[in-house]
Amino acid sequence: MILRFLAVAAAALAFAAPASACAHPRTSLTYLEGQIMCPTCHTTLDQSNSPAAQAIERFISQKIAACWTAQRIESALVSNYGAQILAAPPRKGFDLLAWWLPIAGVLAGAVVLAVGVWRWSRRREPEPEAATEQELDEETERRLDDLLARFD
Amino acid sequence: MTGRLKITAQVLALAGVAGLLALLVWKLAHQEHAPGVGAAAPAFTLHRLDGPGRVTLASLRGRPVVLNFWASWCEPCKSEAAVLERDWTRYHARGVVFLGIDYHDLRPDARSFVRHHALTFPMLEDGSGQVTGTYGISQVPETYVLNRQGKVVAHLAGPITDPSFAGEFRSALAEAARLKGGTPSAPQAAAP
Repeated sequence: MILRFLAVAAAALAFAAPASACAHPRTSLTYLEGQIMCPTCHTTLDQSNSPAAQAIERFISQKIAACWTAQRIESALVSNYGAQILAAPPRKGFDLLAWWLPIAGVLAGAVVLAVGVWRWSRRREPEPEAATEQELDEETERRLDDLLARFD
Repeated sequence: MTGRLKITAQVLALAGVAGLLALLVWKLAHQEHAPGVGAAAPAFTLHRLDGPGRVTLASLRGRPVVLNFWASWCEPCKSEAAVLERDWTRYHARGVVFLGIDYHDLRPDARSFVRHHALTFPMLEDGSGQVTGTYGISQVPETYVLNRQGKVVAHLAGPITDPSFAGEFRSALAEAARLKGGTPSAPQAAAP
């Protein structure tokens, strides 16, 4: 009975080991395929079927099986191919510009648009008090008073 | 105030357009093309794939050089490997240097390819493809034969086993090995 229990426990451990061997959640090939470029076709791996892309996919699969994190796999690929293997530039150094410039561009565009709209709306707004003061000279005011007096 | 703001905006817009135009011109001016026959081969320094150290093309001036661009994932490169090894063995004694340049490849795969095909000529790695780009390589295998002055004698954009390239490769190799245009420098290609 004890022997049978030990055998079942050993078998369960043997099957469970590959899935639970990693100390962290495994990354996936699907995720990394969208993060890594095919060096010969300049698209992400998920859009390429070239031999170079397939070689990288094999490498990624091996490393996922060996419990490598996505970051570690990306670092290994960068050291082999250079930073251009990443679909998105790293968030440090000069490459930060690639992240901040679009945001700066959108903000600058928003500011220009806001200023433009504000100026346009100001130009179209009537200025009743000033207009009244300008339009009603003494003669008109007197005639208006006369007319209003008739209704009293 | 309004006029000044308008002029500033126009100047900024013009500066933006000028910047974009400058980028376009720079890109067009720096586009890489394959060096033609008679042109100087682009200089490079690359890490060795088969050991420590680096190799500089300039250090081989005075010797004919065969540059073979390949990758482990390239099918025609497999059939070409044996022919290259045989020619390297034949021409090595006559001062010809063969350099294999591994292109857009994973190091372990490339080393396994070299072992599998028992290639003994020096192998360099160009994982980023930066040097390969200066030679206008768009597909592998491609082979350049350089004379002792470092000028291109032949450019074969395909496997040298291809009948259309085999004859040209042999004659370019024979010519480069026969003609002596100066004192050969020390064989530093194999040195780490």
